Amino acid sequence: MPGQDGERLYVATSLADALAALAERGRTASVLAGATWTMRAPLRHEPQDLSYVAISKIDELRRVEVLNHEISIGACVTHAELANALAFLPECSALVQAAGNSANPAIRNVATIGGNLCASAFAAADLVPALICLDAELEIARPDGSERLTVERFLEIRSDIEPGRLVRRVIVPRTKRRSAHIRLPLRKAGDYPVASVSLAATLGPTGIVESARLAVGSVEPVARRWPLLEAGLVGRALDPRHAAEQAERLCGDFSGRDGIEAPGWYRVKVLPSLVRRAVLALQEQS
Amino acid sequence: MSLRLNVNGEDRFSAAEPLTPLVDVLRDEFHLTGAKIVCREGFCGACTVLLDGRSVMSCLVPVGLAADSEVRTVESLATDGVLSPLQLAMEQHDAVQCGMCFPGMLMSLTSFLERMPNPSRDDIKAALAGNICRCTGYERIVDAALSVVRAA
Ligand code: FES
Ligand code: FES
Repeated sequence: MPGQDGERLYVATSLADALAALAERGRTASVLAGATWTMRAPLRHEPQDLSYVAISKIDELRRVEVLNHEISIGACVTHAELANALAFLPECSALVQAAGNSANPAIRNVATIGGNLCASAFAAADLVPALICLDAELEIARPDGSERLTVERFLEIRSDIEPGRLVRRVIVPRTKRRSAHIRLPLRKAGDYPVASVSLAATLGPTGIVESARLAVGSVEPVARRWPLLEAGLVGRALDPRHAAEQAERLCGDFSGRDGIEAPGWYRVKVLPSLVRRAVLALQEQS
Repeated sequence: MSLRLNVNGEDRFSAAEPLTPLVDVLRDEFHLTGAKIVCREGFCGACTVLLDGRSVMSCLVPVGLAADSEVRTVESLATDGVLSPLQLAMEQHDAVQCGMCFPGMLMSLTSFLERMPNPSRDDIKAALAGNICRCTGYERIVDAALSVVRAA
């Protein structure tokens, strides 16, 4: 039932309350976080779900906890809060840059990390590639407990998640890494990126790349890693020009999505430049 | 069910359906027509208001999520008919043309300057990234905002 008395929005006050409300409503209800994606459903000619359980007032979902081995980010932490909370952690630069530059300030004040991950039709989400490159996991709460899975796995299954569950928090492991998120919007101000590249790498004592994770966002419908390019970065010093040349060679790995703001071929064409900038950004971090 | 909102310091009640965009309640029910509706998409910023002190696009906030919160609209800036320093600066710099974007510009800048009292020109531009103006070319708006910072 969409709410016993026909109400379309139930504002939950605790996680247990939200799970109970979702269980009661079954398939007729969806989770609502910052609402910036859902409120635009009519513009996308999508029906709005029958009713919503809002989770953005739940205190525990609004916390960022920086622990020794991991960072726990509640699903309803906004982009602005995230950029602020992690600004002092160079190892999380990719996430801070993604959160601090996406959309525009008023959207960043409202849009949440959980919403960004769950909006499966939103190809240009900035946080998604940044979280992939940082090897993040997330926790899904369900009535009988919780489960933890990688962000990459979550992206594969997110459209089929059973009703009654919700993303509770995102977990970013802590390692001594350098990272950056490079985005190309058509206008500098307030646009979605045509393409984005998130890169994280750990370096040995002599500056040789020991491990690299590179994710590409907004080019294909869902952000994903670029394994061949990652392999090409490992075992040598950070070299922006060489990385761009490799990206150029490997670009055929992607098939760009056509959209109003850019054709698919263009999204792929700009990747080597974004890769070069990402490697340069890592080089400049000490 | 009635929702309580504190709008510009005054308690107001709305019986609107909770998924109604806040901007529609402000304009149609409370007759506060300062916030403008242009894109309804979060891109233009003409509907910017402050929700518990933070700038938000009121076209994308369901009124049910604004319940029991403080909303500030452009109507709150002038007190007893006296313009705020920012409004005055806009007038003095002859920054306003058609005015459609201005309620949003003013609210974005008001919350930004409360948080960052000593910004650079680039900081101000970044703060206005979500406020589109089709008329002015922005430079005089930024000049006006900077003049307020320098005068403070
Ligand atoms: S009308 Fe709200 S952002 Fe344009
Ligand atoms: S003055 Fe006309 S839109 Fe800005």
